[in-house]
Amino acid sequence: MVQTTKNNKLSIPEMLGKNWIALFLVVLVIVFSLLAPAFFSIDTLQLIFFNGTEVFLLGAAELFVIITGGIDLSVGFIMGFSTIMCSKLIVMFQGFGLSAFASILAGSLFMLAIGLLPGLVNGWLVAYLRVPAFIATFSMLGITHGISELMTQGVPTKNLPSLAGVIGNGSFLYISPDSEIHFFARPQVPRGQIVVSILPNMAVFAFIFILMFSFLLSKTKFGRHLYAIGGNIDAAIRSGIDVKKDLLKAYMISSFFASLAGISYVMKYITGKPDAGADLLLDSIAAVVIGGASMAGGSGTMGRTILGALVIAVVQTGLRIVGMQTFMTYILVGSILIITVILDQVFPNFNR
Amino acid sequence: MQSESAKPRSTSLSFFQTPIGQFTARNWAMLFLIIMIVIFSFTGSGFFDIANFQNIIHLSTGTFLLAAAETLVVTTGGIDLSIGYVYGLSSVLGAKVMQVLSNSNLSLAWVVVIGSAVALCVAILPGLGNGILVTRFNVPPFIATMGMWGICNGVTLFFSDGFMPVMGAPSIINDIGNSYFLYIDPSHNLRFFSKPPSIRISEIRMLIRLVPNSFFLSLLVFIVLNFILGRTRFGRHTYAIGGNKDAALRSGINVNRHLTMIYMLSSVISGLAGLFNLFQTGIGNYTPSGASYELMAVAAVVIGGASLTGGKGRLFGTVIGVLVLAILENGLQIAGISAFYRYIGVGVLLTIAVIIDRAFPDLF
Repeated sequence: MVQTTKNNKLSIPEMLGKNWIALFLVVLVIVFSLLAPAFFSIDTLQLIFFNGTEVFLLGAAELFVIITGGIDLSVGFIMGFSTIMCSKLIVMFQGFGLSAFASILAGSLFMLAIGLLPGLVNGWLVAYLRVPAFIATFSMLGITHGISELMTQGVPTKNLPSLAGVIGNGSFLYISPDSEIHFFARPQVPRGQIVVSILPNMAVFAFIFILMFSFLLSKTKFGRHLYAIGGNIDAAIRSGIDVKKDLLKAYMISSFFASLAGISYVMKYITGKPDAGADLLLDSIAAVVIGGASMAGGSGTMGRTILGALVIAVVQTGLRIVGMQTFMTYILVGSILIITVILDQVFPNFNR
Repeated sequence: MQSESAKPRSTSLSFFQTPIGQFTARNWAMLFLIIMIVIFSFTGSGFFDIANFQNIIHLSTGTFLLAAAETLVVTTGGIDLSIGYVYGLSSVLGAKVMQVLSNSNLSLAWVVVIGSAVALCVAILPGLGNGILVTRFNVPPFIATMGMWGICNGVTLFFSDGFMPVMGAPSIINDIGNSYFLYIDPSHNLRFFSKPPSIRISEIRMLIRLVPNSFFLSLLVFIVLNFILGRTRFGRHTYAIGGNKDAALRSGINVNRHLTMIYMLSSVISGLAGLFNLFQTGIGNYTPSGASYELMAVAAVVIGGASLTGGKGRLFGTVIGVLVLAILENGLQIAGISAFYRYIGVGVLLTIAVIIDRAFPDLF
């Protein structure tokens, strides 16, 4: 899909048209900076990445499924389920006498394994039983929601080690006033002096996975197969692709990213609740669609999805800094989603 | 996936080729409903009771209206994800208008009528927007209505000052929403539409209430929509568009206008559901995140035998779907099982519905 344009030279308006979403992002940043001068700073940039970690991860989750022409409605509640399961696991491992760090590590790793299960069921239903993706993943939404509510009985999980919060809200790099660089640990400084913190841990952690899977999508045979399945499933079957297995994998990757988002939530907020990701469904699909993917399948790249997620994250954090109320976020994200698709219809070759 | 659907039928399907088997497969949701009623009658005392059944009908009115709205859209092969938030918008907006008007010196009846009218009129707008996006701009229904979901949610939160239910509507709406058609007090006096004024607290448990007002609302919507879908040209066109859009276009149906009207109708009915919510609770409730009203409506429609690819769907099936969801919830609660199992139940049922639909495509 992407390579076709490589040979032709693009004129400048075409270049701008193709990347209008990046342009829009620039305009958005300029507008927010004019409205609130404090917006244009390295701290805000990091805040955007910190707040947007879940949107990035869920956008990546949704991308793998949307490329195959499907949809995953369950990502938000798989994330909720993951916040609960992960925090329960961590508390359990701590009960076994493991240290805080070891139990967080073990809990997260076990969660990543468990997080593959909803995707396995989704993929099995979609690929092997030919249930429409909308229905299969909606069923999974109900099931994960029910299980999470049963596990918590209405009370957010607690008793997590405080180290989780230190990891989740910490940064990769700290620069103390005397220009010393510290990794992970915030240096002790006298009151009033400012420590510059760079790269929030959770965003780094998210981007490591996103880069890995971006490679998987763009450079491996599996990735090409996903595009082929989304483009024309009959042709994919006839050309000998094991469509069922690849679909199964796509849904498992989606579920895997959703549980990563859940783990990130646990680290950031030191709690887990069933509806942690409930209203992120709109954001995750919007990120993929704003990034130029078609709901019919066969298109969409990781880079553009991240760009789409970045637009949403900038809107969310920017509106908060400018002092607007939350409701504007929903209106803006909804409007941007619709406008993107209209522009795609009017200029079908743009934003691809 | 289509190429594999021509899988040879195995011999084990022979049961479903008998008339009884075909009846079972076609009406599995209704049979399931009956089995569920029988089981729940044994698991919890007070389930099989006229008062409880009226309660189920009363509490599932909102779900039914939303599912009826969704049936229209799903029949045309589209999907409307905005209905859950139109529901909240209408509830909050109606309450807000009534709240403002009750401070003026308008009579109570006018306050209620104007508030309801404003809420219903505004509820047309998201549908109009959806319709225009879907027909004029070729936006896929999924995306168009999802964008509208965000916009409606934002506007609702604007009116409800950010996650605050809107109070201050006149309390009479509560009486209208929650009263019953007929009351029989212990000395067998009848009273219509309102509780006997002289009844003592000790007697209130003996009071027999029959037919909640909300039942008339559901019945009215059911009869009107069933008539429209089953007996009018509008209904035939709806099925035609859902069955094959190109053929419908070529046979001279104004598909764009028709689809716009369907989305507007869907939106108004969801607005009506929201308004009912206001009359039932007395406050304007925004739609909480994760409420998934629109998905529950889709679930009811699909359990009722409609297909998401369009052209297939009966309102009566939707009624069965809504009742399955409502009785599952109510029965679990009365049996003392955590009501959270209902989410799991809905998920499992939905998948079964589609697998049955796939296994017997020619039956429905």
